Amino acid sequence: MENPYLPVKTEVLEVIEESSTIKTFRLKPEVPLYFKAGQFIEMTIPGKGEAPFTPSSSPYEKDKLEITIMKAGKITGLIHNLKKGDIVGLRGPYGKEYPLSEFEGKDILLVGGGVGLAPLRALFLALAHDIEKYKSVLFCCGSKTPSDIIYKDFILDKWQNLDKKKIKFRITVDKKDDKWKGNVGLVTTTLDKLELDLNKSVAIVCGPPIMMKFGTFKLIEVGYKPEQIYLSMEKNMSCGFGKCGHCRLGDFYACKDGPVFRYDKISHIHEIWD
Amino acid sequence: MELYFISKSNLNRLALALSKTYKVFAPVKTGDNRYFKKIGEEGLETAVIGEIRAVEPVKSFYFPARAKVAEYFSKEHPAEEEKPIAIIGAKSCDLASFRVMDYVFGRDPFKDPLYISRREENLIISSDCTCFGETCFCVAIGIMPYPTENFDINLSEIDCGYIAEAGSAKGKSVIKEYSKLFQPVAEPYPERREASRKSLKEDLLEHVKKSSIPPKDAIQPLFKKKFDTNLWEETAKTCVECGACNMICPACHCFVIKDQGKKQGFERLRLWDSCLLLSFARVAGGANPRKLLSQRLRNRFDKKFNFFPDMIGSFGCTGCGRCSEACPGKIDIRKVLSNLQA
Repeated sequence: MENPYLPVKTEVLEVIEESSTIKTFRLKPEVPLYFKAGQFIEMTIPGKGEAPFTPSSSPYEKDKLEITIMKAGKITGLIHNLKKGDIVGLRGPYGKEYPLSEFEGKDILLVGGGVGLAPLRALFLALAHDIEKYKSVLFCCGSKTPSDIIYKDFILDKWQNLDKKKIKFRITVDKKDDKWKGNVGLVTTTLDKLELDLNKSVAIVCGPPIMMKFGTFKLIEVGYKPEQIYLSMEKNMSCGFGKCGHCRLGDFYACKDGPVFRYDKISHIHEIWD
Repeated sequence: MELYFISKSNLNRLALALSKTYKVFAPVKTGDNRYFKKIGEEGLETAVIGEIRAVEPVKSFYFPARAKVAEYFSKEHPAEEEKPIAIIGAKSCDLASFRVMDYVFGRDPFKDPLYISRREENLIISSDCTCFGETCFCVAIGIMPYPTENFDINLSEIDCGYIAEAGSAKGKSVIKEYSKLFQPVAEPYPERREASRKSLKEDLLEHVKKSSIPPKDAIQPLFKKKFDTNLWEETAKTCVECGACNMICPACHCFVIKDQGKKQGFERLRLWDSCLLLSFARVAGGANPRKLLSQRLRNRFDKKFNFFPDMIGSFGCTGCGRCSEACPGKIDIRKVLSNLQA
């Protein structure tokens, strides 16, 4: 019987500084882990412990993956000390992915904030890979300040030219600096005057809890129905396969029934926003 | 139903014989309580086969409080050969907890290898309760004070021995292998077994009446109704967040994973965890869906009386009453259930 607790030996190929608190780690596991956008993995610092992360790279890249991590606790602190060539462990992928087939033919709105852009990047890359299947993609990105914007080279530059007709961006910062010429305001302010067919649209939200909450409420306000909104509920997913009990949300476990949930399926559950 | 008679002295012989292939555990009384003890040459001399459940839950033999679940980044070591475990004298409330444990650890995908191997290899010789404890309330939630499931052989005390019932193929093969120790059983013994079961059940029902626990089928709807009330703040007033109720519960299955280094490579341990602790659901960023103790206490009842009924059609509680005994804050699960209809 396969041991689900066993991590796969993985080499750190590259460490990319995204902001003062966020780094992206490019990793090569000894045995490839084939994940789908939205699924997560558990990353082990040998002998110290592990934590759950959703890969941020394209699911079409088969033998390597990237994980974007904010320094927030004990394990993420240790991860931030990693250098090229270091060895970590990975296990997974776990959970349910974004249901891409349900997105086909639709206007897709991605709403992300801070390090919540990580899962959305994997999703965005999967959508961009097969852009002919979708009507359009609008990526709304929020960051605290211009220096907190992650994936800068992509969001502000490379991705802008992927498909100018179908793929658009709305980028905002909560607080500007002297050089910033773009929008200022919370990411919810980018959700007004959406030029898309609300009846044939889905919205995917990922960010810090407060952003998830008000982002969702704003989407409802502008006309989205709960069944058109997908949320990434990143709870304390410890074992990753519905046994340890930490990430339970009502009748669901975020690790096995999520972390991607359609809002109408979980809107009745207390404590989802905390 | 295959019923046999086994005398007390033959049961002792069986225990000694089994100890060649199994680590045999049986409850031994210390003071007013029973604790599982490994049986040595003395056999079952000091063991208490009847009476009520031991202090520690049988889950410990399948889902140990601390277990190594993986070794990584080291050369493969051959797994240490360990004798499987035979438990003599497990009670109905503990066997009922396998409904929860099998659902959590025994299901695809991601079956738990340690749990599965123990379920396959261990042997359970259970026994009827012959009395009840003050906190016992199994009958109030539909569990009988005698085993009805998940045993290999069950023993019902009668005169100078026991009526043995085979409950599985493994149990049958043990009876076959040691057939000299078992005798055919004839009336009036089976009838007398039914009579003593009925009489204990009635006495226990009478005892449980005092706690005014709602009818079994009303518990989940009542819980849903009481979810958003101050019942949980009131109940949590004396909770000291120690997690004793979780540790002692035969059906609590939550755990935490801890890693540590060893001489070569690393090892991963799985330790029992408690949903009453502040950090249980907290994430690294500091967000915590259950910041308040009252939310965490409610969560424990939610899991047992709302989540598991939805998942497996059974409560995540077996009425063993251990939590009521263990709680330093005197939170009595029967009182909480009774308050659901207040």
